[in-house]
Amino acid sequence: MVGIVSYGFYVPKYRIKTEVIANVWGKNPEDVKKSLLIEEKAVAGIDEDSLTMAFESASSALSRVDVDRNKIKVVLFGSETHPYAVNPASTILAEFLGIEKNYLAYDTEFACKAATGALISAQGLIKSGYSDYALVTGSDKGMGKTHDVLEYTAASGAVSLLLGKDNLILEILDFESFSSDTPDFWRREGIRYPSHGGRFTGKPSYFYHIEEASKSLFKKTHLSAKDFSFAVFHMPNGKFPVQVANSLGFSPTQIKDSLTVNYLGNSYTASALMGLAAILEKAKPGNLIFLCSYGSGAGSDSFALRVTKNLFGKRRKEFKHVVEDKKYIDYPAYLKFMEII
Amino acid sequence: MNKKGKIVVWTKIYTPGSDFKKYAPYPVVLVELENKEKIYGQLVDYEDSDLKTGKKVVSVLRKVRSSSEEGVIAYGVKFKPL
Amino acid sequence: MNHLIGYHTTQFGELWDKSLFDLVEETISGVLKQTKLTNKQIDAVFFGNMLAGVLENNLHSTSKIAEILKVNIPIFRAEAACASGGAAFNLAKTYLEANSNKNVLVVGAEKMTDYSPEQTITALSAAASGEEQEAGLTFPGLYALMANFYLEKYHYTEENLAYVSVKNHFHGSLNSKAHFRRQITVKDVLSSPYVAFPLKVLDSSPISDGASAVILTNNRDLIKKQKNSVTVLASEVVTDTISLKERKQIDEILATKNVADIAFKNAKITRHDIDVAEVHDCFSIAEILAMEDLGFWKKGTGGQKIKEMSTMYGNGGSLIVNTSGGLKAAGHPVGATGIKQIGEIFLQLTGQAEKRQVRNAKYGLSHNVGGSGGTAVVTILAV
Repeated sequence: MVGIVSYGFYVPKYRIKTEVIANVWGKNPEDVKKSLLIEEKAVAGIDEDSLTMAFESASSALSRVDVDRNKIKVVLFGSETHPYAVNPASTILAEFLGIEKNYLAYDTEFACKAATGALISAQGLIKSGYSDYALVTGSDKGMGKTHDVLEYTAASGAVSLLLGKDNLILEILDFESFSSDTPDFWRREGIRYPSHGGRFTGKPSYFYHIEEASKSLFKKTHLSAKDFSFAVFHMPNGKFPVQVANSLGFSPTQIKDSLTVNYLGNSYTASALMGLAAILEKAKPGNLIFLCSYGSGAGSDSFALRVTKNLFGKRRKEFKHVVEDKKYIDYPAYLKFMEII
Repeated sequence: MNKKGKIVVWTKIYTPGSDFKKYAPYPVVLVELENKEKIYGQLVDYEDSDLKTGKKVVSVLRKVRSSSEEGVIAYGVKFKPL
Repeated sequence: MNHLIGYHTTQFGELWDKSLFDLVEETISGVLKQTKLTNKQIDAVFFGNMLAGVLENNLHSTSKIAEILKVNIPIFRAEAACASGGAAFNLAKTYLEANSNKNVLVVGAEKMTDYSPEQTITALSAAASGEEQEAGLTFPGLYALMANFYLEKYHYTEENLAYVSVKNHFHGSLNSKAHFRRQITVKDVLSSPYVAFPLKVLDSSPISDGASAVILTNNRDLIKKQKNSVTVLASEVVTDTISLKERKQIDEILATKNVADIAFKNAKITRHDIDVAEVHDCFSIAEILAMEDLGFWKKGTGGQKIKEMSTMYGNGGSLIVNTSGGLKAAGHPVGATGIKQIGEIFLQLTGQAEKRQVRNAKYGLSHNVGGSGGTAVVTILAV
């Protein structure tokens, strides 16, 4: 059985409130908050990027376990805000973590599901015996064009998962993937901000792929929504995950702890994983967790996970603490940190 | 990385060189780590009240200078108050 | 015995019309004229300059000087950041100890105002260690760390530092060659903007252009013919770690302490004998630390003693410091400073210091520092 041995997450210190952004553009803050269900989002500092955040989350994951770093022969970095257009961040990450050179590294890309796709590959590499451990990170300093809806949702954050075969805290019971050519959200090379298809990002994109990937997994595992204690979906805003959970038969109680988007925004490749980190503070051994990511372009990866008794020893009571260690910034500071000015 | 230490002495730079212009003003601290090694680094995610001798800090990874649009990105050690 | 027989300096300041080698040429002509020597009578030249390599892509200045002087003699450049001038003088003196009946020209020069402040600040941080530069520590940042450490340890405030600048600006007002010739008050200093906390604009020496030159000789006949001549009793150089954090004490320049001890020993005089001194006040804190490290003031008393202003011209003190205006008011064209300091002592000892002439000045000391204390040079002159 392959699964997760340890995890780490990083949330930058700064937050900007939805109402601060709305006021700049003359929009009614209450309308915006009601439509997106986002109070505030996390903003990375001017000197942070997807690599620095990935490092902090990976450092945290590795510090909790006594693993010989040279047994980590797979390092995968998933992002849609890679530090370089051409140059792997996975090797920079591995180097800073002190992982010696006999490892396979690559950077992955599939909009917001870059990391969960890597998770599936990593699982295969461990199962085949290539490596005892694999490090997978999803990290983004999400950009949104000013005066666009993405400005309220695009946020920063990173989550790292260390996969292995022994002493698992989460077993990966099974997974599925569903893909199609659906251009709902994209960014051309050299263009600073992503573009999106407005309402097209909803039913034909997000909902379609998540529903199909989820139903596939239900069928394969003979499980349904009621068998799971918790569910977490990719969170582009506060409404979509609630709606898709409902359409798949999950109750509001099953997903409420996962909704980090409400107070952290959408950290793209780290979004669903951040929701998972939040859930793990509440989960108990034996609980089944359902996770389904979504990447524009488009595709979804669905997972059935089981919590083991090892979680108690490694549980982080930190999530709440880290999230509350925050400092509010104003709009000019936001523009400065995102290097828009 | 992720090493703990204490501020030995600090200053705040208001007139930086070209590579650091966009971070200014920024504090720079000299930290003595738990293993007695001394390291310089900028202090980030701080309040002015954190700028004092003896303040406990931890090292973090950040971008340390803004090179040209074409150059290699410089990552390095900075410190954050505990 | 080596003698200093002539000194010339250009104006220090923002000299928009003059290039680095215009200034070098001007000061060389000036000092030759003063000593009534021709270029053919110079046997060697030593040149102090810090930034021509970085800012002007010029790393063969020695040959450029040969072109200016129209000679084919040995010419050497000394590298010691802000102590380049003092180091060049030391090399000249050493050259004379190895060669008899020679006349040596020592020139220090710097051109800094043709570049943006960021470029100059970045260039100046070449005096700091790689790690210091990577951490974004500017040169003022380094001295700011020293200042914070000192002020906290001895319970002084920024106000104590301000007195250095006030004194040196007063001296500058008496020196027509100084960059700044207006007087300032403690209040002016305290309300100037921060450069690197706690050091403010008026705690910091400026970015200036300028060149200075002296002629040294061990030719007895020439010495006898010269109107003005002082003896070089000592010229010593000591180095220490480039990195401030590797020093024994952050608020002390060990190189200064050591070099002063050696210089006084060789000169066979004591601190009490010194009547005038030019010390390296690149920042206000530097003068206070220098007075303690050179052994004039007890460690930790500097902050209080500077307020008494006993080292200010006209107050009847037994030791007057930085009559040229120091680096603060006279200006700090980096490579020229070490020579200007020696030149100012020369003027004092030969009665040529005009409005700032200290009476009966017999022994003088100049103190030149490179970086945050990586190099220290002390020269003692007597008449």
